[in-house]
Amino acid sequence: MAEAKTFARALGGEGGWSVEAYLQAGGYRAARKALGEMTPAAVLDEVKKANLRGRGGAGFPAGLKWGFVPAKTDKPKYLCVNADEGEPGTFKDRYILGHDPHLLIEGTLIAAFAVGIHRAFVYIRGEYENIARRLEAALAEAYERAFLGPDVFGSGFALDLRVHRGAGSYICGEETALLESLEGKRGHPRLKPPFPASVGLFGAPTVINNVETLANVPGIILNGAAWFTDQGLPTDGGTRLFGVSGAVARPGVYELPVGTTLRDIIFTHAGGMLPGRRLKAVIPGGLSSPILRADELDLPMCCDALVRAGSMLGSGAVIVIDDRTPILDVLLRVARFYAHESCGQCTPCRLGTAWIRKVVERMASGGGRPGDVDELARLASGVKGRTLCPMGDAAAMPVLGIIQKFRPELEGATCRP
Amino acid sequence: MPTLTLDGRTLSVADGTTVLKAALEAGVSIPHLCWHPAFVPEGSCRLCLVEVEGLPKLELACSTVVREGMNVKTATPAVRESRRRVLEFLLAEHPVDCPICDKAGECRLQDYYQEYGLTEGVYREAKERKAKKVAIGERLLLDRERCVLCTRCVRFLKDVTGTRELGVFERGAHSEVGILEGKPVASAYAGNLVDLCPVGAITDTSFRFRTRTWFLSARPTVCPLCARGCSIWVDFHPGFPRRPGSAGVYRVRPRTDEAVNGPWICDRGRYGYLDLHRRRLPFIYWNRGGQRVEMSREKILALVGEKAKSLTARNQGGKFGLVLNSNLTVEEFKVVRQDLLPRLPGARLWFADPPGGEDDGFLLRAERTVNRRGASGLGLDLAPFGSTDIGQGLTVLVVLSPFVGPTDTAAGLGRALASVETKVLVSPVETGVEGLFDFVIPSALPSEKAGTFVDGQGRSRLFGPALQLCGGAWSEGDFLSSLAAEISRAS
Repeated sequence: MAEAKTFARALGGEGGWSVEAYLQAGGYRAARKALGEMTPAAVLDEVKKANLRGRGGAGFPAGLKWGFVPAKTDKPKYLCVNADEGEPGTFKDRYILGHDPHLLIEGTLIAAFAVGIHRAFVYIRGEYENIARRLEAALAEAYERAFLGPDVFGSGFALDLRVHRGAGSYICGEETALLESLEGKRGHPRLKPPFPASVGLFGAPTVINNVETLANVPGIILNGAAWFTDQGLPTDGGTRLFGVSGAVARPGVYELPVGTTLRDIIFTHAGGMLPGRRLKAVIPGGLSSPILRADELDLPMCCDALVRAGSMLGSGAVIVIDDRTPILDVLLRVARFYAHESCGQCTPCRLGTAWIRKVVERMASGGGRPGDVDELARLASGVKGRTLCPMGDAAAMPVLGIIQKFRPELEGATCRP
Repeated sequence: MPTLTLDGRTLSVADGTTVLKAALEAGVSIPHLCWHPAFVPEGSCRLCLVEVEGLPKLELACSTVVREGMNVKTATPAVRESRRRVLEFLLAEHPVDCPICDKAGECRLQDYYQEYGLTEGVYREAKERKAKKVAIGERLLLDRERCVLCTRCVRFLKDVTGTRELGVFERGAHSEVGILEGKPVASAYAGNLVDLCPVGAITDTSFRFRTRTWFLSARPTVCPLCARGCSIWVDFHPGFPRRPGSAGVYRVRPRTDEAVNGPWICDRGRYGYLDLHRRRLPFIYWNRGGQRVEMSREKILALVGEKAKSLTARNQGGKFGLVLNSNLTVEEFKVVRQDLLPRLPGARLWFADPPGGEDDGFLLRAERTVNRRGASGLGLDLAPFGSTDIGQGLTVLVVLSPFVGPTDTAAGLGRALASVETKVLVSPVETGVEGLFDFVIPSALPSEKAGTFVDGQGRSRLFGPALQLCGGAWSEGDFLSSLAAEISRAS
């Protein structure tokens, strides 16, 4: 079942990002089918049937999300493509954006058609400067061939799609902070409700989807929902781009069916551990997903199984940690990152992440004291579940996870001579 | 009208009411720092989290709208624990310099700390040092260590005044409130930031370190400085504990009144009291060649009463002039209308009021006195006092107004009054024209009186005395009725 791949065509291929290459490989057939032969409701229905789970981190079904947008509104509706790929360890969307930009454009086009949207934005991470240029070049090609614009394929459907570059803040990957930033404001998350589906960009109904999520849409439309669910699991179909990094022989992005085990990903596909290293721990879905121990490698990589294991699939970014890495070093990275990226708007995240960093930095510089681990646990649990946006949980969960799985090692570290 | 259960009580609230508002209306306290009734919920302080039955996480009371049948619990162990933990974070970086903080005694952080019973610090890292004395406006100092980043100040200047002088700079734990270089808070409503600040982060230089808030008593009154007539509190120190010079007014603050001023007042109203105590007149005196000769009330009454009587006896009431101002109370105008004028047939009447200013489109009105409608409502003619021929044909002139100023009219006023035989000034404060009058009587400030104003919107505004009558002062109402009685007394 690993044969039918969505992304394999373009990944790694030089020049595959041009519209010619994309058309040659059958590109834009799905969009033509959707706009020419299907109703928006039928498109929406197909995506719902495919149970396409969001690839950005939360794993929310895309079809459901689209369905929340009110059909009748006197405001314009917007689609925002979340390309602010900032979760540490995550580097999958950049492959789509850079190597297969037309796949994203086509997916965006179909999504916009399904929800009745005529204006869309790609909010792309500021550091992806070259990739943004390539995406803009692809947009120009698409406009030139009327794949975008006032009359797509001559069907009468209009879609305006633009690129907006972020300024380097992690929090702008949070969907409401993204909207604020896109509106030209400071990237502070908004209070929910109202949810973006009813009050989003410029106060109008808005859909926000991850790049990889939208890139899966053409395949579903062209081949049907069953084709998609056949590839992965019935509740969590398709393939995913797993970005494997850390102490493996062949780090990189691997497209594998949802449900592939961690062991398979690391040892079959990513070439196993670096010579002489042993696997100690894996962060399975980006830095905010709680850490797993070496004895948990047989977990199938799907949203639900990882939640059951107390972690999450997140962005599918697999960070492999070897036995030479002290777990305190991992904790230090975690603590520094979230303290640095907290937007500062709400109390627990602003102060909690900063205090976690203070404690961990002291521990890491040899000043550990008995009781530090308890203090860390207290700090992290004080943040969890009490913040304005999901970043509080994203900062607290990995700390709690490391404490839960590696408490003896941490406590040993606090008593270093 | 959805119905909710709040801590076991069943309440019906208006559509769209939030849980926090419903609780406040029912007298249930839910701690909050960033929420303020005048702003849309911000949801950033995270103190107001409460339990809503059926929901997995604690919910914000400030932004959650009441739904029919909602069951809210505000005092469960989980809720109390959550408040305690959020407070713990706030206090972790707080300097806890309450002994030298102006806000102590009326600080929410202090109140909540006491309520949620934290007894000792649990975090052992060093606190961050931040700037403690940042000048952000003419009278405003910002202490960044005390700031809890509720952003009420930022939102006030964004949503209420629209002047946007303050913003949040930097991010994460480095976030700080600040101004752009060289662009301090210049709003004419800047003083409200001090009241809005739930902690002692923004302090007022005119109040800083002068007293402890718990020594102050707050009394309600109405601001007389424009036709808006904002409801205000006057905070005064009654003189206990005894310390030389401690008694007096320390602050004027808005008293929330939705129909008039909402929760705000302008800085004119707030700081108008500042120099008043230095300008108070000490006693009744006779200007004898530049010498102030102290007089008794009886003597001045007898003197003016005698003159008035002899004029009316000779049918020359027109030679008696009375100047009022429209910050006198309705009750005082009634004394003039019903007791004094009937005994002085033909007497001439003027009003000396401050010149009008600009209506600022918010609270401050163009008319800079509060009770013109109170005077005109009693049929008093509001003829302005100020033309140069006013003195002509007058023998006695009694001026009850602090608004006869020493401005461009001073020299003219002196000439105009030169021919008047007896000139009496009744004023609560020195204004620089005292030398032009033969007799000067110190009177009461509006905040020292009880009475009624009819404000610019035509509302009757009853108020009691906020302050004790200043020593030596004679309230205008008392003076006017005593004068009427003196005139009518059979000689």
